[in-house]
Amino acid sequence: MTISRRTLLRTMAVGGAAGAVAAVAGPAEASQEAAPPVPADARGLLYDSTLCIGCQTCTVACQRANQMPVEKSVKIINGAPYDFPTDINADCRTVIKVHEKGDRWAFMKMQCMQCLEPSCTKACMLGSLQKQKYGVITWDGLRCTGCRYCQISCPYNVPKFQWDSALPRIIKCDLCLDRKDGKTGSACAEVCPRSAVIHGTRDELLATARKRLADSPNRYNAKIYGEHDGGGNQSMYLTAAGVEFTDLGLPDLGDTPPSRLAMSIQHTTYKGFIAPVALYVVAAVAIFRNMSSERKAHQDKGPEAHP
Amino acid sequence: MSTNARPVGGKVVTPLFLALLGLAAVAGVLVGYRLFKGVGAITALTDAYSWGIWKPINVVTFTGIGAGAYGVGLLTYILNNGKYHPLVRPAVLVGAIGYSLGGASVMIDLGRWWGSVFLFYPPWYNFNSILLEVALCVLTYVGVLWVEVTPAILEQWSAGDSSKLKQLAARFQPRLQAALPFIIALAMLLPTMHQSSLGSLYLMAPTKVHPLWYTGWLPFLFLVSCLTMGFGSVTAVDILAGNVLPGRYRTHMKLLGGIARVAGWVSLFYVAFRLADLAWTGNLRFAFQLSVQMPFFWLEIALFAGSGLMFLSRGARADRGKLFTAAILSLLAGAAYRVDTYLVAYDGGPGATYFPSVGEIMVTVGLAALGVAAFLFLVKKLPILAIGETHS
Repeated sequence: MTISRRTLLRTMAVGGAAGAVAAVAGPAEASQEAAPPVPADARGLLYDSTLCIGCQTCTVACQRANQMPVEKSVKIINGAPYDFPTDINADCRTVIKVHEKGDRWAFMKMQCMQCLEPSCTKACMLGSLQKQKYGVITWDGLRCTGCRYCQISCPYNVPKFQWDSALPRIIKCDLCLDRKDGKTGSACAEVCPRSAVIHGTRDELLATARKRLADSPNRYNAKIYGEHDGGGNQSMYLTAAGVEFTDLGLPDLGDTPPSRLAMSIQHTTYKGFIAPVALYVVAAVAIFRNMSSERKAHQDKGPEAHP
Repeated sequence: MSTNARPVGGKVVTPLFLALLGLAAVAGVLVGYRLFKGVGAITALTDAYSWGIWKPINVVTFTGIGAGAYGVGLLTYILNNGKYHPLVRPAVLVGAIGYSLGGASVMIDLGRWWGSVFLFYPPWYNFNSILLEVALCVLTYVGVLWVEVTPAILEQWSAGDSSKLKQLAARFQPRLQAALPFIIALAMLLPTMHQSSLGSLYLMAPTKVHPLWYTGWLPFLFLVSCLTMGFGSVTAVDILAGNVLPGRYRTHMKLLGGIARVAGWVSLFYVAFRLADLAWTGNLRFAFQLSVQMPFFWLEIALFAGSGLMFLSRGARADRGKLFTAAILSLLAGAAYRVDTYLVAYDGGPGATYFPSVGEIMVTVGLAALGVAAFLFLVKKLPILAIGETHS
């Protein structure tokens, strides 16, 4: 008995074919893919960190609009009692956080970014998370299995899961799509006393952001976070000059959607389901031939043939 | 050639068997509690770490152990090394049990498990979802593996006393025999798809997975390492069966030696490929920068290299104890790579940490115990293990 080197190579060739095809062909494909056009009615939020005073009125309005329980537990933060959630969670879809770096600090509003090319909707097995009207991503309980792959995939850690429920739901900002036809609905934007967060179509929001940057170039970081980041978002951010968006806890994604590599590898491997079918046919033919030749050889020696 | 498999026989209810069922019962109670109180009631999972040990251990490692059926199947049926036949049935049974447990774990872990009925409703399929591909593939493969176990059941029936079962067996045996090549081909295709996709899952999180693990080759590396795990599991099971189970079953050192050589080269190939990929992308520097992940990375490489070299050493291949050690090391290597990719390399966000709860660990232990108990029961009742010398 020997396993020759050739046998070994064949083992690897057979076993590794799919993976190899995937990984080699994948990245090449990625560069050719063009971003889908942005729908004209895509709506979102523009949050201006320089205007926010951290009053959390948006959080209260959000929880009221979505019938969410208000967090009552008091935490001690920096020596002072604090009774708001420190991050979004299954009872809270938006919250103002404060980020400190050195002697500087800045406010940051956390909520779903409504990505133009979201990872969550690609991860979701049965399409529970899907873009609906105005490009808003909503959750459908009937199609959700509670697998939480959306949480793994979301680069912003937005979808939240009800861990203590026997009938758990995924909780995330849906831009108050059910409120006032979704057009002027976002409760957070409606109540903000400083208009630090405003609601509009993506084009309107971008125009507003660009105007602010042009009017007071010294006040702002010149970048609009979400214009291109991760393929672009419908909810976008402005922050003060000297404050980096990564300091606000926003990931540095580059301009391509974070799901791009995964999708190109997956879709190249399974394009038209040709590779799996081909692999199956090759395997079936090989096995059929090997098994019948074995049985023939076996019949000369005696009865009994089973796998 | 003949597989010469016989039921091992002997008493089913032994102290070991009862202890295993006891552990499984504890897991059962915990699962019952989870059904009413939610996933959070027995796990340490959070929104930051929403997949815990149940994914990389119960699903990805149990199925990795079960991949022996895939590895031995490739050697036996595709590469036509008929001599490995005696190893096929135990490997397939381990696979059927491992994959069933993996599937059961997923159901326990799914927050809205009842929603999984819609996995049978194609109009809702999201063809972008890597997890959907894994789910459908694993679901089908569990069925395929149990179909592959049925020849042993039919054989047992035809050898038994009941004339009714004999008739049934006589009716189905030829049909099954005719269908087998096409079922086995499916059993080769499906693991190729889902074992690689178990790695692809984390391609979706480029910002969260440490650069020592994040690479476009994740699917390929998961596929290669499932082979080494599969060969390790086949070897370990065969040696254990020879040592622990009553009866005249003997280990097939020559066959295992052949498997060990393949496993050894595949392990070393894995190490070389992994290091080369890291060097190529420039991420190898992280292997020399102090971080929480760094020691885990080297442990993983050491396990693959160590088991690979041991598999290839002539001395180890001739010694049951050493070969068993090598097999266990290769299982640990694959398990380490899986746990590292899913948990150690995963960054849940600033300040977020995860360590499995007692409940999670007990469910994992209980399911593993149930698997061992099922294996012991079935090899005693069904012709799975080859008795005595089979090949010269």
